[in-house]
Amino acid sequence: MADYRLVGKNFTPPDMIAKVTGTAKFSEDFQAEGMLHAKMVLSPMPHARVRNIDTSAALKIKGVVAIITPDDVPQFPPPVDPILYREPVFAGAPIAAVAAESEEIAAAAVEAIKVDLEQLNHVVDPLDSLYPGGVNAFSGGNVANVKLPLQTVKWTAKDFAGFDQGNMPLGKPSEEWHYGDLDAGFAKAKVIIERSFQTAGTSHHTMETRSNMAYWQNGKCYVHGSMQSQSFVLPQIARMLGVKPADVVFIAEYCGGGFGSKGNAYPLVVISGHLSKKANGRPVMLRVSREEEYANGSARAGFQGWAKIGFAEDGRITALDIFVVQDNGPNIGFWDFRNAGETAQVVYQPEAMRWRGTAVLTNTPPRGPQRGPGENQTAMTIEPLLDEAARKLGVDRLEIRRINAPDNDGFEGEDAKGKLTSAYLKDALVKGGQLFDWEAKKKLSGKRNGNKVIGVGIGSAFHAAGSNGFDGLVRILPDGKLYVHSGVGNLGTYSYASTSRVPAEVLGYKWENVVIVHGRSDNHLPWMIGQFGSNTTYTASRGNYVAAVDAKTKLLEIGATVMGGAATDYDLKDERVVHKTDASKSLSFADAAKKAIELGGKYSGKDLPPDINPLTKASATALAGSGLMGVAKDKLPKRGLVPGLVAGFCMIELDRETGQFEIMEYLGVADCGTVLHPEGLQTQMLGGSMMGFGLATTERIVYDHQLGLPANVQFDQAKPKTYLDMPKKFSWSAVDRPDRDNPVGVKGIGEPIMGAAASALINAIADALGGTYFHRTPVVRDMIVNALADRPQSYKPLQANTM
Amino acid sequence: MAEDCRIAHGGDAHALHDHPAASDGPLSEIVRIKASRRSFIKGVIASGATLGATGYLFRASSAQAKSVGAVERLISLNVNGQTRRVDVLPYETLANTLRYKLGLTGTKLSCDRGECGACTVIADGITIYSCTTLTHAVAGKKITTIEGIAKGGELHPVQKAFIAEIGPQCGFCTPGQVLSAVALLQVNPHPTIEEARRAMSGNLCRCGSYNQYLAGVMRAAKGDFASTGGSNG
Amino acid sequence: MMIKDVIPGFELYRPATIADAIALLDEHKADVWKLAGGNDSLSWFKDRIKRPKVVIDLTGITEMQGVKETPDGIEIGTLTKISEIEKDPVINKSYKLLAEAASKVASPQIRNTGTIGGNVSQDARCWYYRSGLPCYRAGGNTCFSDTPEGQNREHAIFDANRCVAVSQSDMAPTMIALDAKMVIRNAKGDRVVSAEEFFVGPKIDIRRLTQLQPEDLLVAIRIPKEWAGARFYFEKVTDRATWDFALVNVAAAVQTDASGTVSNSRIAVGGVAATPRRCGVAEQTIKGQKVDQSLAELAGKSETRGAHPLNYNAFKIPLMANLVMRAVRDAQA
Repeated sequence: MADYRLVGKNFTPPDMIAKVTGTAKFSEDFQAEGMLHAKMVLSPMPHARVRNIDTSAALKIKGVVAIITPDDVPQFPPPVDPILYREPVFAGAPIAAVAAESEEIAAAAVEAIKVDLEQLNHVVDPLDSLYPGGVNAFSGGNVANVKLPLQTVKWTAKDFAGFDQGNMPLGKPSEEWHYGDLDAGFAKAKVIIERSFQTAGTSHHTMETRSNMAYWQNGKCYVHGSMQSQSFVLPQIARMLGVKPADVVFIAEYCGGGFGSKGNAYPLVVISGHLSKKANGRPVMLRVSREEEYANGSARAGFQGWAKIGFAEDGRITALDIFVVQDNGPNIGFWDFRNAGETAQVVYQPEAMRWRGTAVLTNTPPRGPQRGPGENQTAMTIEPLLDEAARKLGVDRLEIRRINAPDNDGFEGEDAKGKLTSAYLKDALVKGGQLFDWEAKKKLSGKRNGNKVIGVGIGSAFHAAGSNGFDGLVRILPDGKLYVHSGVGNLGTYSYASTSRVPAEVLGYKWENVVIVHGRSDNHLPWMIGQFGSNTTYTASRGNYVAAVDAKTKLLEIGATVMGGAATDYDLKDERVVHKTDASKSLSFADAAKKAIELGGKYSGKDLPPDINPLTKASATALAGSGLMGVAKDKLPKRGLVPGLVAGFCMIELDRETGQFEIMEYLGVADCGTVLHPEGLQTQMLGGSMMGFGLATTERIVYDHQLGLPANVQFDQAKPKTYLDMPKKFSWSAVDRPDRDNPVGVKGIGEPIMGAAASALINAIADALGGTYFHRTPVVRDMIVNALADRPQSYKPLQANTM
Repeated sequence: MAEDCRIAHGGDAHALHDHPAASDGPLSEIVRIKASRRSFIKGVIASGATLGATGYLFRASSAQAKSVGAVERLISLNVNGQTRRVDVLPYETLANTLRYKLGLTGTKLSCDRGECGACTVIADGITIYSCTTLTHAVAGKKITTIEGIAKGGELHPVQKAFIAEIGPQCGFCTPGQVLSAVALLQVNPHPTIEEARRAMSGNLCRCGSYNQYLAGVMRAAKGDFASTGGSNG
Repeated sequence: MMIKDVIPGFELYRPATIADAIALLDEHKADVWKLAGGNDSLSWFKDRIKRPKVVIDLTGITEMQGVKETPDGIEIGTLTKISEIEKDPVINKSYKLLAEAASKVASPQIRNTGTIGGNVSQDARCWYYRSGLPCYRAGGNTCFSDTPEGQNREHAIFDANRCVAVSQSDMAPTMIALDAKMVIRNAKGDRVVSAEEFFVGPKIDIRRLTQLQPEDLLVAIRIPKEWAGARFYFEKVTDRATWDFALVNVAAAVQTDASGTVSNSRIAVGGVAATPRRCGVAEQTIKGQKVDQSLAELAGKSETRGAHPLNYNAFKIPLMANLVMRAVRDAQA
C-alpha cells in the first residue's frame, strides 16, 4: 500500500494559525460574565489530619461567595486521589477552596480560613517506609497502586543487611512473574552484571497549568479544562462532579502540554465546577499557579531497584532478573513498575526472565503517567548495563543491542507467548548506525581535545504504542464535505488531525473537503482514546478507518439503490460514487448524503450498530438524520502488543575541568510503522529527545526529608532543557515499515523517543568518563565533577528524593 | 505542499466564536461567555475590558485614598499602536493588565515568575517578561503583544515560518516565541543561527520544539516568507 | 503552602530624581521596598512573603542610567540594564569582564529589564529561605539547610555563620575583580565603599547580602581605570545552559608585563560563600610568576584550603579549584 494520497504526506494542521497568532483559547483565556475567582487552601504539611475547618471569618469577608470543603465533594475509596483532602498526604494538597468576586478576595479568604491540622509523621523515601517500623505515608497503608489494594508492607532488617554498601534490599515483592529457567540462564552466561539503581521522579511541568473554569446551566456543568482528550475523560469528570456523563459538557480545544498528566481527569479540574454549584451556577475560574501545579500537576514515579543480567559470549541475554520499588507518591499512582518488566522483556527478549516489584507510598506529589512511564526509567537503568557488559565481553555496543532486539517474531507477556504486531528495532539500530556513522564515531570515544573529551552512546527504548476496541464516527453531509468527529485531544502531536486523514484516504476525499469536528464534548464525539500513551496514531486511525469503511459501504449501497445494480458494481472516485464500467452512472457524495437522509435507517445513523460505546451511541443519535453516517467499533484483528521502538545515538564533548558537556550530535531512529505525518513525527522525535535530555541530566524531584517540603518547584529549580541545551547537530529518521495489524500500517512513537535520548546521553557521559556508570538519574553536574575529581559522591546510594 | 482544512467549533447555541467587536478593534479579542444565573447562554460576545464584573485584581481596599506622590491609577497604555486609558492598580503586572483588562489573552501566563517566556511582549523594541513587569513601569512605552504582530490580516514572516516548520506543538509558549523572534529580526535581520538561538533562549518550550522554532527564525530571516506589504512587526 | 501569585496590595511611587527617591525612602523607612527590574522583587511579592506597604519604582530615574567615562575610569548608573552592559562599547573595549559576565545572566528578557544595581544586590536563593521558612536570614533562629538531612547542594563551602546561603550574582564577582567602588546615598549624604566592603556575610549581617540599609540607595558603580584593558576571565558553571544560577562562577582581572609575568591580579569566586570570595592566595601565588599549568593548578587548589562542605556540596571544592585555575591560565586580553 505505497500509493497513499494523504498517509505519509505533510500537511498544515488546521489549528496552526490560531497558535501562532495567540487566538488559540486555552482554559484560562475564557471569561464569563459574573465570573468568580477561586483560590485553594493547601496543606502546609506533608502529612496531617484535618481536625476542623473554620470558615466563619472567611465567609464574613465581603465578596466571598462560596467555600467548599471535603464535605462538599464526592469521596472515593483510598488510594484514589481525593478532590479535597481530609488527610493531606503531601505539601500542597488542597483541603478547601473559595470562590469570590476577585482573586484578591479569594486569597484573603483563604488566609482567613482556619484549618486545624494534626501533624502526622511523613516519609519521602520508599525504602524508609519499607524498613521495619517505617512511617506509612497514609494512615491506611504504605503500598498501593492500580489493582494493587492499599495495604501495609514492612520488610525485615535482614532484607536491608547490605543497604549501607549500596545494595538494594530485596524484600517481599507485591507482584512478580517469571518465565524460563533463570538459574540455567545465569549458569551459562559468560558475563553477569548485577547492579542496584535509583531514578528520580520528575514533574510534568506542562507550560499550561491545569487552570479551569466551570458554570452550571439547566442542570448541566460546563467545564473548560486542559485535557488530552475530549471524550475519554468525560465519564471520569462526571464521576468527580457526582453527575452523569450526559450532564457534563467538557471543552478543551487546546491543551497546553500534558505529557500524560492530563490523560485522565485529575481532581483539580472539578474544583471550579463544585464551587460553581455552590454559587448557584455562577461561572468560577480557578487559576492554577506554578507552585500549585508542581504539587498537584502529577509527576513521574521514581525507581529504586536492582537488576542482574546474564550475557552469553556474543552479548545475547541469557537471563534477566529485575526488582523495582516504585515511589508511588501518596495516592493510587500509575503502574510504571509493571512497565519496567514489560520493557526489559520486549526490548531485550531475554531467554529467561523474572520481574518483581512493588509500589510504595510517599508524602510527595501524586504520581501519574509521564511520557514513557516505567519504560523510560528502565531504559536509563538497563541500557548502561548493556554497555558495561559490552565492555567486559569486548562486544560492540551497537551489536549487543541488535542481537537482543526484537523482530517480527518477538514475544511478550508473563508467559513469553504473547506476540508483537511488528518490531523493527534491529532495523532502527542498523539504520541509525549507518546514518550516525557509528563505526567512525566509536573510534572518537575518549579522544581528548585540550580539556575536552568525547563520549559516544547508544540507547534504545520502547512503549506499548497501540490499543483497540474504540469507535469511529464520520459523516458526509449534503454539502458534500466529510466531517470526522474526533475525541482525541490537541496536545501538539497533531495526531488528532493526522488520524483524521485516514477516513479521507479511505473515501478518496480531498483534504480541503474534510472538517475535523472536535474540541468539546457536545460536538458529539465518539468514544475514542485520548492523545496519550503513544496510542493515538495506532488506535484512533483504526477507529477512524472502520467508520470510513462503514461510510464507504453505505455510499456504494446508496449508489446501487439510486442507479441500479449491485453495490459491488460501484466504486468511489473524486468524491462521487461511480459505476465501475458505465461512466454515465455517477452520484456525488453530496447527493448520496441527501439520499442517506431520505433513506434513514443505518444510512443516516437512525439505526446504529449494537456494539458501539454508549457515548458514541449518544453522539450518533444526536447527529442522526443529518447526512450519511459511518459509525463502527474497531474490531479489526490485532495479534498482540504494539511496540513503538526507538534507537538513539549520541555524541558529547565533556569538559573535564567543569563537568559541563555539549551534545555535539544526536540522532533518533523510530520504528513507528508507516510514517503517517513526517513533519509531525519530526516535532515528536526532536522535542521528545529534548525532554529525554532533561530526564537524564537535570530534572528531578527533591524533598527535604525533615520537613517534607519540595526544593525544586519553579522552572529555575526544576530545570527543563532550553534552546542552549539543544544538540549542535540534531536529526531523526524512521524505519518506515508498516505495522502488520494497522489498516494503514501506522503505530505510535511519542514516548520511547524520550527514553532512547535519555539513555543514549547517559551512556555517552559514562563513555566520556572512561566507563564510570552512576546507576542513578539524573546524572547531574556535581556527580560528573566528583567523578572527574575522583572524589566520593555526596548522595547516599539508593536514597530517593534527594540531591 | 501544505493543504488546508477547517475545524468546526460546533454550530449550536453554546458555540464559542471569535468575532471582533465593532467598536473596540484589535484590543478586544477576548472570548467572553455572557452568562448569568437565570438566563440561557445565547452565545458569546467579544468585548473590551470594561464589560462585566470579572475581577482578577479588584478588591475592597483598592479604593483606599492614596498618598500624595503615589502613581495615578488611570494611565495611558500604548498597545499594538493603540492608546488605551486603563485603570491600573499599583501592584498590577503588565501580563495581568493585558490579559484581564485589555482582553489580550495571547500573552500567556505559565510560571508567572519570569522564567519561561510565555508572557513575553516587546516594549520599545526589546523583549520583556510581562509577568515580572509592573504595568505602571511601562506606561509611555510602546507595547507589542502577539495580537499586534499580524498586520492587516497578513501573518508576519515569523508566524508563516513557524507554521511552515511546525514550530508549535501544544502552542502555549508559541506567542512568546513569536515575539522573541520578531524582536530579534527587527534589530538583527540576518542573525547567525547561534545569535538566533541565544536570542530565543529566554523562551521555554516544554514540548522541546526548539529546533523547529529556530528553523522558523532562520527561514523568516532568509526572506522565505517576505511580506507583500508592511514591515516586521 | 501559601497562596501564590496574588500580590498583596501596596502603594507605588515612581520618583523621577534621586532626590525624590531619597526623600521617599526617608519618609517610609522600614515599610519601603526598592524596585528596579522587578525580576526578583515581584517573586517575593507573589509569594506573599515580603509585604511592603510602599514600593518605590526607581526605573524612572534617568540620572541613574547609563555608562559614562570619567577621568578615573567609568561610572555605571545602577539602573543600567544588564543587556546595556553587555553591549556598551566602552565596556567592551576596556572592561570586557563586565560584558562577559552580563552575557551569562539568566535570559535575554531578564537582561533586558534586570539592572546592574539589582543584580549585585540580589537576595540569597537558598530555597528554604525562599520558601518562607523562619530561618536566620528571615529573622528566625534556625537554619534548615545546614542539618543532617538538609538539601544544600547550592550552599556555602566558606564562611558559614549560622546561615549557609551563598551569593549567586554573576556581576558581584566582577565587582571585586575590577575593584569597583559602590556609591551609596541616603538622606544624610553619600558614602563610597569598595566592593569588598559592600558585600557582607552572615557574620556581619545575617539578614542582608550587602551593606545597603533600607534608607540607602545604590546610585552608581565606579570602575577604576587601573584595570582597564587587563586580561580578563569570566566563567559560570550551571546545571543547564540558560536561566540558571551559578553553582560556582569566577571573575578575574590579570595584568602581565611584556614578558608574560603577572604583575598584578584580582580574582573572585561566586557561589561558594555569602559574598563573592576574593582569591587572595591565588593572586599571591601567581604574582611575579609566569603562569603555566602547574602554577595555575596550584593557585586553584591552594585557594580552596579551609573549605567546609555541607552534605551535598563537596563538588564545589574541585569545581572552584578548577575555575580559579582556568581563570589564571586562560585569562584573555
